Amino acid sequence: MVEFIDLSKHNQEKLVFDKPGEYVVFMHNLSGSVTVELAAPRVEVDIYGLFTGKNADQFVINTTQHHTAPGSVSNLLIKGVFDDESKFNYQGLIRIEKSAQQSHAYQKNQNIILSSKTYVESKPFLEILANDVFCTHGSTTGKLSEDDLFYVESRGLDKEKAKDLLIQGFIDELYEKIKQKVPKFTPSDK
Amino acid sequence: MSKPAAPNVDFEYRYGFSMPQNYTFKARKGLDRDVVISISKMKNEPEWMTEYRLKAYDIFLKKPMPTWGGDLSRINFDEIYYYIKPVKEQAATWEDLPKEIKETYDRIGIPEAEKKYLAGVSAQYESEVVYESINKELDKLGVIFCDMDTALRKYPEIVKEYFGKLIPAHDNKFAALNSAVWSGGSFVYVPKGVHVTLPLQAYFRINAEKFGQFERTLIIAEPGSQVHYVEGCTAPIYTTDSLHSAVVEIYVKEDARVRYTTVQNWSKNVYNLVTKRAKAEARGFMEWIDCNIGSQLTMKYPSVYLMGEGARGEVLSIAFAGKDQVQDAGAKMLHFAPNTSSRIVSKSISKDGGRTSYRGLIQVFPGATNSNVYVSCDALILDEESRSDTYPYMKIKESDVSIQHEATVEKLGEEKLFYLMSRGLSKVDAEGLLVNGFIDPVAREIPLEYSIELNRLINLEMAGSVG
Repeated sequence: MVEFIDLSKHNQEKLVFDKPGEYVVFMHNLSGSVTVELAAPRVEVDIYGLFTGKNADQFVINTTQHHTAPGSVSNLLIKGVFDDESKFNYQGLIRIEKSAQQSHAYQKNQNIILSSKTYVESKPFLEILANDVFCTHGSTTGKLSEDDLFYVESRGLDKEKAKDLLIQGFIDELYEKIKQKVPKFTPSDK
Repeated sequence: MSKPAAPNVDFEYRYGFSMPQNYTFKARKGLDRDVVISISKMKNEPEWMTEYRLKAYDIFLKKPMPTWGGDLSRINFDEIYYYIKPVKEQAATWEDLPKEIKETYDRIGIPEAEKKYLAGVSAQYESEVVYESINKELDKLGVIFCDMDTALRKYPEIVKEYFGKLIPAHDNKFAALNSAVWSGGSFVYVPKGVHVTLPLQAYFRINAEKFGQFERTLIIAEPGSQVHYVEGCTAPIYTTDSLHSAVVEIYVKEDARVRYTTVQNWSKNVYNLVTKRAKAEARGFMEWIDCNIGSQLTMKYPSVYLMGEGARGEVLSIAFAGKDQVQDAGAKMLHFAPNTSSRIVSKSISKDGGRTSYRGLIQVFPGATNSNVYVSCDALILDEESRSDTYPYMKIKESDVSIQHEATVEKLGEEKLFYLMSRGLSKVDAEGLLVNGFIDPVAREIPLEYSIELNRLINLEMAGSVG
């Protein structure tokens, strides 16, 4: 059974997983810091974050995936869509202690910028003190793909609709990942 | 069953020898205003440079030590010799050098390399450049390649225009220190449209104990010109600490291209704290190839300020940290203009308790539309004692951009090893092949004579698998 933790409903600064099992952590437009500690073997945590910035919204979010026990997996995906003068400051750390061999840790941050007045800062850090591990992080920031837009518009949609559709698709990808693990998950409206 | 031994990737240090010190002048230990003034006097410098040095010295005193990177607490600024003049005059031929200095360069192989593949050579021993030469053809084309002290004497107006403009003394504590006590380094000037096809090479050698080497390099590539500058560094092994703190400023004008290759192989008692920065104008292309193998601690983040439309910047780096070594290296790319692009590829290997860190900055300013950034950092950790960190900073103030960053940290893949061994390779050979393959994307950009050296350095002879 997958345990689902929605930080948007119950904010917690520190989550310690010390029993084997599958966990899904979700946050939407949350500012603050979240530390997820994997303190036992065979813990599998997915962390999903969605940030949708409009007007003068500002989000400052720090995440830490702290592996203290061997043989666990953490997987983080943070997606952001920023419009108007919104600001997003993301700092993510994967820290693998010497005691946490055979860990796998992933961290991904994807941002779409819709306005030239936004500010996006992304700092995906890694601190790896064990050798028998596999860690990756990736971060992409950019505007909507011209090619994608052109394709959708060529199907008869106007520019605004095409944009909305692509953004919805970008966000839905995250929701679908959550639903695969937590079928009862229903996204709140943006 | 005991644990398998880590692959024996060792950089056998061949340059740890030291030579007797028959010096013309050695400043007293430690640093104060008098030492700064005496360096400037000894060099017969114009007044503005003496002033510049003294101002920088005051800034140095006020600036705090960096709080990131490795442990700098052991650096005792009072225990260092800041200036050593090894010979009275620069030599025109290798034969004119004192025996012990010539022998040093022979053992490193510089005169040999000069004959074969170089357009110009500069050899710095302690504080001064003791030998330099430039291909006559280049001389005729107006290419200048000399040490900074000579440049200040012969081309004062060019030096004054560019010196300290990209990296002012107040940039950081070690840039301030360099600005106060700088000596030697290279000055390269390539006139408009001139392509220097063979590399210019500078060779930096520390011989004395508890010594600080503060070379200062300035490269100016006029519009449409091209140049490749290569530097190599070694030092003897002492139990006391030495300090190497260079400042390198590079101007890449419109359509010019500069490649700066470093093969840093200091001995493990050297702190290597270097500030390197380039400014690229429209369609200019700046490439840093940065290879850090030696030193006890390196903190170095070559940067490119992409100021002109269509400018390009690249940093390709290899870092190796063995026992008691910290390599805190990285790159900075700052996009100020439209259609600029940057690429960073970093490969690091840590072993025997060594620690490698990638620390990088990408900053895209408003108006740098249609800019493109690609960063890739890969780290290999070869045993349980070692550590690898990645600290990238990305600050984006423009929407019309594409930024990509990716990093991986892993050990040598079991499957790959198994595959190679199933083809009949021994474990040692398989590991060697994988490590060389790992660094290959960067290693292949290093000039041939160095890449052979690098392959040899990565001595993968396993001392029999203990296990």
